[in-house]
Amino acid sequence: MAITKGQTFQDSEVVDKYRTLYYAGASGDFNPIHIDPEFGKMVGLGGAILQGLCTMAFATRSVTKLIGDPGKLKKLKCRFSAPVMIEDTITMQGTVTDIKEGLGYIDLKVTTQTGAEVLQKVEAVVEV
Amino acid sequence: MAIDIKFIGKEYPAYTYDVSKEKIKEYAKAIKNLDPHYVDEEFAKKSKYGAIVAPPTFAVVFGAFLIEPVFLDKELNLNMAMLVHGEQEMDFFEVVKAGDSISTMAKISDIKNKEKLDTISVEVTSKNQHGRNVCRGVYTFVVRK
Repeated sequence: MAITKGQTFQDSEVVDKYRTLYYAGASGDFNPIHIDPEFGKMVGLGGAILQGLCTMAFATRSVTKLIGDPGKLKKLKCRFSAPVMIEDTITMQGTVTDIKEGLGYIDLKVTTQTGAEVLQKVEAVVEV
Repeated sequence: MAIDIKFIGKEYPAYTYDVSKEKIKEYAKAIKNLDPHYVDEEFAKKSKYGAIVAPPTFAVVFGAFLIEPVFLDKELNLNMAMLVHGEQEMDFFEVVKAGDSISTMAKISDIKNKEKLDTISVEVTSKNQHGRNVCRGVYTFVVRK
């Protein structure tokens, strides 16, 4: 799908109770901070936290939905700036900031219901 | 104890991962992304790729086979209880399809010692069976002290 400079888009996801387990099984990331709430509390995280790469996968989904072709995503980077807990609602708000030389540059704001930015410095580059 | 910067440049043995369509579907379900490119075989056959393709971030599935040895590296001795994922960068060069055989290499690209934490970055590069680059990832982990 053609995208235009200034275009905005949105996507969201509610982190269900077992998401960290599904993600662990699919990705191999069984770090106890993700699958064991007691362990998460013990190390000061307040419970089990969602794998950052799962949040990144949700963010990626918002971009590939927009462009309609997963093969057109060329780059994605982000900083995991705050933990995502079970039952949080993650909202992705994207803006196409520029289009030049066949590439689209996308800025994403990824927050939870408290307004906390869980990903920062998100940059996505797509073929247009 | 701080992570010794002498480990910058350390390489880990390559791993070859065979991509199956069932694993792609499992991963797509786990990330709640049922894009027909990933899960619908009829759609996928008619798509420009001609086969089920993996979501871009599926690269972390084969990448994990190179991250695990870093985590288990006794010489490096990371404090896993204090480790969280800090940053991730991914460059995509070619889609990964069901049936591909992906060879991945990794090296420690950076270590920084700060007052309250250390960071360690691992650069992971993957090629397909045709020898073409499919993905480059940089995983940066934060280890609280």
